[in-house]
Amino acid sequence: MPRCLVCYKWTLDEKDIKIKPDDLSLDTARAKGKISDFDRNAIEEAASLVERHGGVAHALTYGTPAVKQSLKDALSRGPESVYWIADNSAETADGFVTANVLAAAIRKLGPYDLILCGEGSSDLFNQQTAVRIATLLGLPCISFVQKITIEGDTIKATRKLADTTEVATVKGPAVLSVLGTINHPRIPSLKQVLAAAKKPNQEIKIPELGLAPECLQPRAVRKSVRGFAAKRKKITYKETSAAANVANLAGSLAAEGLC
Amino acid sequence: MNFQLTEEQQLIEQSAREFAKEYLDPIVVRLDQMGEFPREVVKELANHDFLGLQLSAEAGGAGAGFVAYVAVIEALSRSCAAVASIVNNQAMVSYSIEAWGSDAQKKQYLPKLLDGELIGAFALYEHGPAPGIGPDALIATKRENCYVLKGVKAYVRNAAEAGVFVVFAVTDAQDPKSLTAFLVNANTGGLKVREKQSTMGLRGCSVADVVFEDVALPGSAVLGTVKAGSEITGRVLALASVAEAAQTVGIGQAAVEHAAAYSKQRVQFGRPVGTFQAVQTLLAETATDCHLARLGLRHVAQLVEDGKPFEAEAAMVKSFLARVGSKMLIDTCQVEGGMGFSEAMPLPRLYRDIAGTTLLDTPADFPDYAIAAAIV
Repeated sequence: MPRCLVCYKWTLDEKDIKIKPDDLSLDTARAKGKISDFDRNAIEEAASLVERHGGVAHALTYGTPAVKQSLKDALSRGPESVYWIADNSAETADGFVTANVLAAAIRKLGPYDLILCGEGSSDLFNQQTAVRIATLLGLPCISFVQKITIEGDTIKATRKLADTTEVATVKGPAVLSVLGTINHPRIPSLKQVLAAAKKPNQEIKIPELGLAPECLQPRAVRKSVRGFAAKRKKITYKETSAAANVANLAGSLAAEGLC
Repeated sequence: MNFQLTEEQQLIEQSAREFAKEYLDPIVVRLDQMGEFPREVVKELANHDFLGLQLSAEAGGAGAGFVAYVAVIEALSRSCAAVASIVNNQAMVSYSIEAWGSDAQKKQYLPKLLDGELIGAFALYEHGPAPGIGPDALIATKRENCYVLKGVKAYVRNAAEAGVFVVFAVTDAQDPKSLTAFLVNANTGGLKVREKQSTMGLRGCSVADVVFEDVALPGSAVLGTVKAGSEITGRVLALASVAEAAQTVGIGQAAVEHAAAYSKQRVQFGRPVGTFQAVQTLLAETATDCHLARLGLRHVAQLVEDGKPFEAEAAMVKSFLARVGSKMLIDTCQVEGGMGFSEAMPLPRLYRDIAGTTLLDTPADFPDYAIAAAIV
């Protein structure tokens, strides 16, 4: 009967982000929000574990005021309730700040037997949140998880590593970060979408968390973000001999350090 | 005035898009090529409550409203308009029963229609110019304890798979106002579905004639009251035409997105073709038509949801889309040039499907009458 808490991030949908051709800056004006991809897997896993073992799943999110748009979406995917922290500090938050805020909220809301996160967020993919939360709460952490089973208070997790898998067991409570391969997130039915409006959500204000001001100061500051656009060399090989053209191509590639 | 979907409606639309990507995108080509009825997909549609989303909670539906229904039809049509047609035809039957059915009829049919166990078909058209006219006209003759139906219904969508038909028949061959609706089980003696017809588009949503050879029905098979057929068809076809407009918008949106993506990849004269003004004009005009149609569509859907008169506005949207629907596909095919003509690309399928959504059920020139009736 685990008490699960799943943390998720409300990010911009990358398919809506355009790269401005003049300076390669990102145009996010028309980008819609979405629950970060791996966090959907974390939510699905929490819902699935509760369906198999009983217990309860809650959701927790920290973001800019736009995060409020995510609540019904998250609730339609399984959790019984959602706690949300909307603060402008999230605009520049790095892993340090995010983990400080989430860990403080978990202390306030807990205890939980299992805390689930996505392995990394769709926008930054820093893979910091789970390990930092675990450190702050003094809990064990298992990352790169692609399968979870629970037996009593023991959590067994299969980790996907580069070319092998590793099975780890831990006594709860613990923090786990899951991969996209762990499950296939459900598509909420219409009744689940409509029922989400009736599920509880609770806002937590940053001052309620009792965090020192320095806990909200990011350690890593993002200076700029630029899109990537491949620039064509537009080199045309016009020798009459195919062999000469191939040789010239090989020469061009070598000059680029590509062969 | 706010044309934005509410938060719930946006989430429902999002669910429909997720559903379409998972269940429709993998089968859409096969459906188009083989014309198979996607029974497994219909079951999944039911599991996600899409088959009863606009019906009231009392009737077993999701009670999500007509705006959400239209958004879902558009979202499904962006991937596969044939499946959206199946949903629309199923909705025509379930809505008819919810609105005009007796308690016994609701109890007998609605749960099975909503969970996809039973497929419904709306049998209105005949080969003659109107129901009850012509050599194969379907006539319901009153006998002592029953009605006996004899004749042929034409172009019945979902016919091959239907378990129940809403059948319209005149009870007096001399009186068009005697049009009466009957609920007829597919296994009723004397009912025969002819071979599926090959169609230009919307394949997967079957079309066939249905023959009634002295089909005897009890009085309890009447839907609503005797001679209520015109009232039922008027209302249901008007609602269906809104959903068909949503199909057209969905197909148009899919075409715009595909052509725009292609225009960024296809390089000619050293630059993507999407940077040429002529190509941009084609894309801009198509996107504009699609956007304006969607705004009109959402306005009509809101009128329906608010219980206000909507027929003239629905006809305006339908009429507008009849003019620009095929053009959207001509122009987007033009953007993709020779590749746009290839069946390896989705535009030819979208081209054939959009012809169906603008031609069928409410012919392109019919909406003008409804519009004129409202303003003259």
